[in-house]
Amino acid sequence: MNKLPTLKRPGLPGWLILSGSVLLVLVCLFPFWWMVLSSVKTLRELYTVPPIWWPAAPTWENYRTVLFDSNIPRYFLNSIIISVGSTGLALVLAIFASYGFARFNFKGKPLLQSFVLVGQLLPTAAIIVPLFVTLRVLNLVNTYWGLILVYMIITLPLSVWMLTSYFKNIPVELEEAAIIDGASRLECLFRITLPLSLPGLASVMVYAFVTTWNEFIFALCFATDSSVKTLPIGLAEFSTEFNTDWGAVMAASVVMTLPIAILFLSMQRLFVGGLTAGATKG
Amino acid sequence: MQKQSTGYLFVLPALMVLGMLIAYPVAYTGLLSVTDNAGNYVGLDNFRRVLSARATPTAFWNTLWWVFGSIVLQVVLGVLTAILLNQNFRGRAIVRSVTLVPWVVPGIVAATTWAWMLHTEFGIINYMLTAPALIDEPVGWLTNGRTVMPVMIAINIWKMFPFVAIMVLAGLQAISDDLYEAARIDGASFWEEVLYVMLPQVRTVIVAVTLLLVIWALNHITIIYAITRGGPANRTLITPIQIFRTAFESVQFGQAAALSVMFFAVAIVVVFIYIRTLASNPEETR
Repeated sequence: MNKLPTLKRPGLPGWLILSGSVLLVLVCLFPFWWMVLSSVKTLRELYTVPPIWWPAAPTWENYRTVLFDSNIPRYFLNSIIISVGSTGLALVLAIFASYGFARFNFKGKPLLQSFVLVGQLLPTAAIIVPLFVTLRVLNLVNTYWGLILVYMIITLPLSVWMLTSYFKNIPVELEEAAIIDGASRLECLFRITLPLSLPGLASVMVYAFVTTWNEFIFALCFATDSSVKTLPIGLAEFSTEFNTDWGAVMAASVVMTLPIAILFLSMQRLFVGGLTAGATKG
Repeated sequence: MQKQSTGYLFVLPALMVLGMLIAYPVAYTGLLSVTDNAGNYVGLDNFRRVLSARATPTAFWNTLWWVFGSIVLQVVLGVLTAILLNQNFRGRAIVRSVTLVPWVVPGIVAATTWAWMLHTEFGIINYMLTAPALIDEPVGWLTNGRTVMPVMIAINIWKMFPFVAIMVLAGLQAISDDLYEAARIDGASFWEEVLYVMLPQVRTVIVAVTLLLVIWALNHITIIYAITRGGPANRTLITPIQIFRTAFESVQFGQAAALSVMFFAVAIVVVFIYIRTLASNPEETR
């Protein structure tokens, strides 16, 4: 970090940086600003021309509607159960698979690894039909387990991919020493490699959680009963009925965004680091 | 030391789950595509029926327009943003975090918020454009057949350009200072540096990200589905939505499967190119 005073690099002029940054921040944040503002407006203030920039009397009425008169709290719970379930399951499977890929050389390894990668890239829309039929046969449509399992398609390949590259960066010599001392492979994994990979595990977890929390299309197809519907579906229902209550929709959007915002802000470094490492190293 | 084949035991559980969830459905799609709802073999009937449906070519062209329209601007804006964020200035960390926000936020939230902002009568966008007389009267962005697809593409660009920016930024920051110094000694201006140092160095990142964006654009139907469900008059109907509708609204699983097979074939080509591209120049950027 402490650079020697070398040749100064040419850069963008200050005014361009400033105006570019301001524009960027505006474009990225304005919709959320408007979402939050709309969520505390009364009906009358929502439906006026010209729009009101600052509500005269902010109201919690919309939040009351969302939290007490709708299914959103239930959907919130469903979302948590399903996201935590699929993230946890994916993580357990990925820890073993990544360790296998990172530490062993076996026949067909490159092929199996690219199978995992292809899984990540598959167009989900192309497999919703057979997945639906399969889940129906297994009696898993409209169950938590159905969605948790299906979400493995999204979370597992990426988790394996990210963790494998993480494990590879941990010196193998540590394990070799332990094996000479009589430790088994599993002991190596749980006593040496895993404790050293906590940042990697955390970024995988954040990524998997966010992806499943935001997932829409599988939930739309495989959860049609309100006992298992997730938040995205709940929100879509809210806004496509004939009389859209925009104040409530915006309040529900805020409720849905908050956990992600908190998670993202608190773990941003891990999130960005894991993402770029996983993708640029390929 | 233990045998290398122990590795199989470690990777087996994950591969079994993936096999069950990916390989099996893919094979099953093929089977479904040649059977009717009762499970009888019908040959290529489903394909014939799907191909003769009027919605199919519409959806095909819409999908093409959606994918390419989205990607070009996502990449251009993303790279420009990355170049901006690669500068040293105060508050850069904050701007970088803020840039990621559209990407992190749930697609459905983005969709509903934009739908509200684009509301014909009470939307802020129409107000912003009519107040300074940029347009004469409010536009029905989501109901007008000519504006609806460009608007969807714009929302998708807004949602995904941060991803390009952050990936390209990571690539830019991995460029060694020596290259910049050499350029500086040669008296390069800032834009010459961009053109001859930065862009060539992050070329592979851009290629990889672009292909990823193609695949994602083929996958992401949240924005369109949540806002228009493919309407008005099929103006925003893209193939994934057509598959969904054929399967779950018309309950024609066979035809939906036939459509999936064709969609799948196209996607596989893209995936194949992606893997080949990644494999042909690994680690070149670092």
